[in-house]
Amino acid sequence: MTQPDHLIKEIQHGNEKAFSSIYEMYSGAIHGVIFTILKDQSLTEEVLQDVFVKVWNNSQSYTLGKGRFYTWLLNIARNTAIDRLRSKDYKNARKNLSTENFVDIISGHDNLSGKMDAIGIKKFVEALKPICIQIIDLLYFKGFTQAETAKELNSPLGTIKTRARNCMNELRNLVLEK
Amino acid sequence: MTKEEIIASGLLELYVTDSLSRQDIQLVEEAIAKYPDLISEIEEIERSLMVLSEEVGGKVSDEIWDKIQGQTNNIRHIDKAPPKRSMGALTGWAAAILCFLGLFWMIKNNSDLKEQLRYSNTQNKVLQEKVDIQGIQLTEASELLEMVRSQDFEAINLPGNEAVSPSSYATVYYNAKENLAYIDAKGLPVPPNGKVYQVWSLKMEPLTPSSVGLLTNFEDTESRFFKVENIPTPEAFGITLEPKGGSESPSLDQLYALGTIAP
Repeated sequence: MTQPDHLIKEIQHGNEKAFSSIYEMYSGAIHGVIFTILKDQSLTEEVLQDVFVKVWNNSQSYTLGKGRFYTWLLNIARNTAIDRLRSKDYKNARKNLSTENFVDIISGHDNLSGKMDAIGIKKFVEALKPICIQIIDLLYFKGFTQAETAKELNSPLGTIKTRARNCMNELRNLVLEK
Repeated sequence: MTKEEIIASGLLELYVTDSLSRQDIQLVEEAIAKYPDLISEIEEIERSLMVLSEEVGGKVSDEIWDKIQGQTNNIRHIDKAPPKRSMGALTGWAAAILCFLGLFWMIKNNSDLKEQLRYSNTQNKVLQEKVDIQGIQLTEASELLEMVRSQDFEAINLPGNEAVSPSSYATVYYNAKENLAYIDAKGLPVPPNGKVYQVWSLKMEPLTPSSVGLLTNFEDTESRFFKVENIPTPEAFGITLEPKGGSESPSLDQLYALGTIAP
């Protein structure tokens, strides 16, 4: 989506209305990323809260024109969630660790956001090739680098990029059709 | 790389997920600067990933925003703002201390300079006095030189008296026109305490001495040059050692030097 640079600037000047708009735009996606890592609703909500408080307090550390704002946000969310994953809280809350990925989560949903054709997405992700599921899971939801993903999947560095391109392109076509 | 090659490479997807190396990020950012169209490609990738995770997360509880607002208000007013202010205050204090130190340093420098100036002034005075003295001495010396060279003056040698002081001598520079003379007494020993040299103008036939003057402050007159005036027409000059204050007539047994004027 088009990055709302003017709102980001306003946040950096302490505008709470702009912050509310940014939350409106990005909280859903960030919520999903955190949930994929933690797989616990109440912990996810706590972390989502933490993430946006960090965004408000550290908005100055994002530089317009240097990388995507969403990428910056995504990093804060993944790091905060992973920190929580390692904490005692998490270990107490999650006695049975599951190995679910985003596909399992979407398949298990019945209360979808309603922003998109939920059935379409569900069908799409269920039809994804296992390698695409892994690629998107590692790169997008887990925040692996290209090199880490190549190591994890035991494949050459260059193929990670082309696979990411192919796997995400299908998703893109689906989303943009709607 | 062309725009199409960049799009097909998968670099943009990894750019959005922040999975690229620093080098590749730079490559993408340079490509964006070159082909601004790439932004819309990136935006589409971003949007599709956002939609995907929105579906994963489901509906976000409305309570979360309220809680965030509660925290940001607190953090902004209690935690965030004060450090900023204290940072400013700290800078202020640091500036004040620097200012104070600077001022102190300048005052110290100033007093050092004043001290130096005082010293230089004293030094100058001393030097000025020396110059003045030397000026006077130079004037004296040139006057003497002038006098010695002048045709108006006649130099009369007064050899030492064999009986009293054979090694003594004196010279009289006599100006008959102005009726004055200078006595160069360099060749006379310093008179003992309570004694003074007295200069006499003499007429030979018969021997008539007339006192011309006393060489007072002999010891303090470094040049040993003395001026005498109102000299009765002399045929010779003599110098005797007399009790302090001088004598009416010369003590011939204390005649130190004697010389006649060539006729």
